[in-house]
Amino acid sequence: MTEPQQLKPLKTWSHLAARRRKPSEYEIVSANLHYNDRDPDAPYELSPGMFMNEWYKKNTFATALKHEDWNAFRDPEEVVYRTYNLMQDGQETYVFGLFDQFNQREHDQALDPRWAGTLARMYAPVRYLFHTVQMASAYVGQVSPASTITNCNYFQMADSLRWVSHTAYRTKELSTAFPDKGFARDERAYWEKDPVWQGFRELMEKTLTVWDWGEAIIVLNLIAKPAIEESVLRKLGESARHNGDMLLGLITDAQLIDSARHRRWLASFIKMALETPGNLELIQSWVAKWEPLADKAIEAYCSMLPDVADPAASAKAATRAFRHSLGL
Amino acid sequence: MALLNRMDWYDLARSTNWTPSYVSDGELFPAELSGDYGLPQGAWEKYDEPYKQTYPEYVKVQREKDAGAYSVKAALERSRIFENADPGWKSVMKAHYGAIARGEYAAASAEARMMRFSPAPGMRNMATLGCLDEIRHGQMQLYFPHEHVSKDRQMDWAFKAYDTNEWAMIAARHFFDDIMMTRDAISVSIMLTFSFETGFTNMQFLGLAADAAEAGDHTFANLISSIQTDESRHAQIGGPALKILIENGKKEEAQRRVDIAVWGAWKLFSVLTGPIMDYYTPLEHRKQSFKEFMEEWIVAQFERALTDMGLELPWYWEQFLADLGETHHGMHLGSYYWRPTVWWNPAAGVTPQERAWLEEKYPGWNDTWGQCWDVIIDNVVDGNMAKAYPETLPYVCNMCQLPILGTPGKKWNVKDYPLEYKGRLYHFGSEVDRWVFQQEPERYAGHLSIVDRFLAGMIQPMDLSGALQYMNIAPGECGDDAHNYAWAEVYRAMRAQRNAG
Repeated sequence: MTEPQQLKPLKTWSHLAARRRKPSEYEIVSANLHYNDRDPDAPYELSPGMFMNEWYKKNTFATALKHEDWNAFRDPEEVVYRTYNLMQDGQETYVFGLFDQFNQREHDQALDPRWAGTLARMYAPVRYLFHTVQMASAYVGQVSPASTITNCNYFQMADSLRWVSHTAYRTKELSTAFPDKGFARDERAYWEKDPVWQGFRELMEKTLTVWDWGEAIIVLNLIAKPAIEESVLRKLGESARHNGDMLLGLITDAQLIDSARHRRWLASFIKMALETPGNLELIQSWVAKWEPLADKAIEAYCSMLPDVADPAASAKAATRAFRHSLGL
Repeated sequence: MALLNRMDWYDLARSTNWTPSYVSDGELFPAELSGDYGLPQGAWEKYDEPYKQTYPEYVKVQREKDAGAYSVKAALERSRIFENADPGWKSVMKAHYGAIARGEYAAASAEARMMRFSPAPGMRNMATLGCLDEIRHGQMQLYFPHEHVSKDRQMDWAFKAYDTNEWAMIAARHFFDDIMMTRDAISVSIMLTFSFETGFTNMQFLGLAADAAEAGDHTFANLISSIQTDESRHAQIGGPALKILIENGKKEEAQRRVDIAVWGAWKLFSVLTGPIMDYYTPLEHRKQSFKEFMEEWIVAQFERALTDMGLELPWYWEQFLADLGETHHGMHLGSYYWRPTVWWNPAAGVTPQERAWLEEKYPGWNDTWGQCWDVIIDNVVDGNMAKAYPETLPYVCNMCQLPILGTPGKKWNVKDYPLEYKGRLYHFGSEVDRWVFQQEPERYAGHLSIVDRFLAGMIQPMDLSGALQYMNIAPGECGDDAHNYAWAEVYRAMRAQRNAG
């Protein structure tokens, strides 16, 4: 009997060793980390038919959005945990520097009280909206079929908490400068009842209940987020600048840096998805299904933004231009 | 004042619950994913996390922590600590990384479950940070061992273990999948963060860090103590949830989840942590025995956490305390004997000095476990190596997926705890394992243990070679004695002396 061959040490993990090139730190610590694709019958090591196994079999592995190897996905910026913190600590230092500096200059005291009223209605409630993005990103991440896709969504979830935090911070400051405007008190009522928010609330409540991974990642990232970013970041920022609120314009610009990073991973993701015949039509069908709801949200919100030329039309056009740039 | 204090705006950042109207509350928070406890609306909004941290604080502190851990690694990269480490210590690292690294990464998705589905907004934000923590732990515990892959093929298992049907990994997945991957958000907070992380990861990370520092492995010591500082924050996610459940008359449901998770954690630790602390870590570097670590971290500290919370000690506590001195010796004997089936090289840990230490820490060791080791030692000294390896499979428990064992020798108490459920006969290693199954049989009933798979003909050929193939472990990866039986020399000499005399 011959001795079976002894396996020798490799230069990297065996799953990366077949390729010739040296893996980056990102690949070493990010690729192929999920283990729930081992057994198609039982994603998790329990009864195949128990609730969560059925959930993943249906929503992750049986989605219509197919690719032969989602694990081949790579974040174009190769963000890993430690670079995420380096990057965002720098960004937060910048934003909190703005808070500090504008506070010293008594920025809020110089704002027009009418603009403060607009902020109470159009800005402070946005923490609810950002929180829905935080939640939706957490869901898409936990059902994604590849860890490299999961991570992009988890960092996006954290970025959404960042945006929630900025909003909470500014809401508190504004409540001190304008005690009669309902800051830190009325946000939930605006979010639940004011017509300007109902489009986004409907869009996000429905987005949050899309359980199929393929549809969920598309609806959140290709429909809902662009609508939100073009409206409550870009158009609100514009409106702020026209109303002497330089601080808000700078904050939304800082948040748009995160958004631009999200769009870069999404662009790679869509490019990869389009490698599979049929996905283009599928994604287009989802866009067609959800775009009207997003448009409605943009219109309801943007039409009330003061001092911006035709904000709803240009926000809608921007969401379409973005999708178009991805080949859709 | 130019900048606000954290607490000026903290509550606003966690005031994010709203009443949905375009979908129902039950659609937004499905019972199976959020937890179905029938609590009045608003009860979860009282959730108040004791460890508060904001996003900007988080990225700043974590950036600094990473700078610390990675710079220690970089500074020591050329120090040849790994090359010069005792083979027993290398086995500690291999077992740890393989069983832990990707499990920690999976925990990021358990945190994300809490983030998305918890009805408590404070929990959702804390779980956002907890999710990031677990990405950190997964990534660091892959990056650090990767340095060693080119030196030792077994190090590939730091990554590979979770993809295999290696028996210990089936057990690890079964446990982690049960408490964190397949539960609703509130159950995850109780079972993963409160039950597992408060008690057991403390023990794994601080206990092992103490041994690592003693062994001179400062990179590893630093890494795992840095990880523990995150755990001590996000482990506090479960406490306030328990408090709310208890206040609303749901103590029994809460208690049951704690009892299930603690028992599973104990069993996994008995095979993973017990042997590495009491047998693999070189004698001179052992800070405390496994039992002493357990008594300090689990018994003293966790008992207090439970009672402070208003919970009872698990109903099986007496048995647990008794098992602390026994189970892991059996697990070690088993994993040593079946060493070709593990991805590290178990250290026997039974030289006369080590046995004296074991006897001191575990009075009666020589009359029980020692008797089995005497047989193994005789076979090794006689050069009868065929007898020092297994020919058959052990029987494994349908709950913990670990061998059904008891104490051998003079204390013989091995017993099977069977249960028939829907026409299938299940075997359990203890009354508690069987009780866990009975709490929710449908979670577990369709699962096949590795022995069930063997008997069903799913493992071919039906011998050790087939089993190794099924476990995806091959020569070069298969475990063997860590010290290449050098420890047996002293017994050989003792025998020669006896024969001469």
